[in-house]
Amino acid sequence: MRLLLLEDDDLLGEGLRDFLRCDGHAVDWCRSLRDTVACRGEPYDGLLVDWQLPDGSGLDWLQEQRRRDDKTPALLLTARDRLADRILGLDSGADDYLVKPFAPEELAARLRAINRRRGGSAQPGLRFGHVEVDLSARSVRTQGMPVDLTAREWAVLEALVLRAGRIVPKPDLEKLVLGFDSALASNALEVHVSSLRRKLDRGLIETVRGLGYRVPR
Amino acid sequence: MKTTSIRRSLAHALLVWSLVSGAAVTTAVWLQANREVEELLDETLQNASQVMSTLLSQSDRVSPASPAVVSAKGERQNHFAWQLVMPDGQVRAGSAAAPKQALHATPSAGFSDVQGWRVFGRSVNSEGLMLYVAQTRDERHEAQAEVALSAVLAALGVGLLAYFWLRARIGHELVPLQRLSARLAVLEFDTPHPMGTAERSELQPVHDALDVLAARLSRRIANERAFSAHAAHSLRTPLAAIDAQLAVAAREAPVDLRPRLQRVRDAAGRLQRVVAALLALFRSGVDVQRQPVDLGSLLARMPLEGLRVQVTQGLSVSADPDLLAAALLNLLDNSARLHAGQVQIDSPSPNVLRIRDHGPGIAPQRRAQLQDAIDRQQHDGHTGLGLMLADHVARAHGGRLVLVDEGRGFVVELRLTHA
Repeated sequence: MRLLLLEDDDLLGEGLRDFLRCDGHAVDWCRSLRDTVACRGEPYDGLLVDWQLPDGSGLDWLQEQRRRDDKTPALLLTARDRLADRILGLDSGADDYLVKPFAPEELAARLRAINRRRGGSAQPGLRFGHVEVDLSARSVRTQGMPVDLTAREWAVLEALVLRAGRIVPKPDLEKLVLGFDSALASNALEVHVSSLRRKLDRGLIETVRGLGYRVPR
Repeated sequence: MKTTSIRRSLAHALLVWSLVSGAAVTTAVWLQANREVEELLDETLQNASQVMSTLLSQSDRVSPASPAVVSAKGERQNHFAWQLVMPDGQVRAGSAAAPKQALHATPSAGFSDVQGWRVFGRSVNSEGLMLYVAQTRDERHEAQAEVALSAVLAALGVGLLAYFWLRARIGHELVPLQRLSARLAVLEFDTPHPMGTAERSELQPVHDALDVLAARLSRRIANERAFSAHAAHSLRTPLAAIDAQLAVAAREAPVDLRPRLQRVRDAAGRLQRVVAALLALFRSGVDVQRQPVDLGSLLARMPLEGLRVQVTQGLSVSADPDLLAAALLNLLDNSARLHAGQVQIDSPSPNVLRIRDHGPGIAPQRRAQLQDAIDRQQHDGHTGLGLMLADHVARAHGGRLVLVDEGRGFVVELRLTHA
């Protein structure tokens, strides 16, 4: 998943970024609302927003995104634990609400849950031909046999599966998998895609020439 | 503590006053009436003798040689009598009710009292013939009793009327006080409304004092809220950061280092819970939001490492879920630190939770000390954070924390209701 993390605390921001990267997510970390300007219009799978930021309210920023018809799932991270705050947060456009302190594992699980609902399925498992993908468990099976994937391979598969049936342009897929931070060799994506095809199923990922990749429904 | 009711004490004073003044008025009226009745009857007696003696001297039918008994007619024949007595003490004539013996053996003029009779004597002629007119004492007593009864009844009637009327009046006058209490019961100090003009001038100082108090309290509440929010943010964020950093470190660290990192994470987790409970404690007392809380599902959300918790199936209490969670977390954390291993939670009576662990427990003397500190809310240096917080939560719900002696383990009752 490609995630935008909006958190002003250095220690927490860094910890969450690294944790989520370990899980194979691409994380763009902004320390203030000002920093988010550079990320406008990028295709994110999730927004992790701190309520109190040095240059304003994360909640106001989120409402602004919703007014612009940005439907990216958002998770509010905040020290405010009052019932009234939780209700206000959820009513202002957040899809979920996590009170600090929280375990990063819970944050990751909630992200998966949000994305599962966004994919229109309450079931954690998705099926594409012989291939079963379980987004919550982060596991994949082909013909019933579990397959080991690297974090990057998983990220590519997840990005495509979450957009199943749609063409994902190559530059978008690169950003979804790697975010802004990592420079990537020009053929790195092709390498991941071909190893996924080899490990799972030849026909799982289609190349739409000149446009990008697609996992057919 | 038994408190005195203004209404009751005023009514009591009023009753005593009514009785005393009623008795005093009755006595005064009775004494005065007795004297008046006595005078009136004496006057009547005197007049009667006057009339009779006039009649006797005019007709002169009273012959010394023929003693006669003259019957008087009318209802009062037994109460009223007369006698004509000769100077030698012989009765010459008399009414039927009169005694056979002369009322006075020797001539006696004027008023006198003789054997149950009130007598008025008068000489009828120069030969010393005496006319005695008499009335029984009983008759007089009867008249006096009637007067006294009427006086008592009148005083009693007026007294009772005054008592009930004034009692109703006191009740009426105390209504503004009740209305004030009703207003105070729902007063919100975080959004104070001025009390305004009092319904009675005596209550105005109370209104003014309450306005001052409300202003002071609302300032304090605002300060505490601001501090609490600030403290919450500055405590919660670093705690989340520590956990996130440790989670990453545990993944990146060599395998042999991971258990140690996990222990650090566990300690950080305990710190998180204590901080969360402290923040809840800091905030509690402002608003307790009671709702039905299912203990099973509340505990399912709690991190309870190294502790097996058994809860009675379907156990539910009416409480503020956040505060209850904070109290239980701390009590269970105590048990976990003392390696209690197993904890049972049940409910001996509605809205009372009994938490019983299988740990070493405490000595009876220490338990008594702790209970005393809890009861007096003298927590400094006596009770740990866990017990203090649990007691605070119980008190916020109108109850208290009770340490129970069951012979083994540490047993507390979290009473979430007025005892």
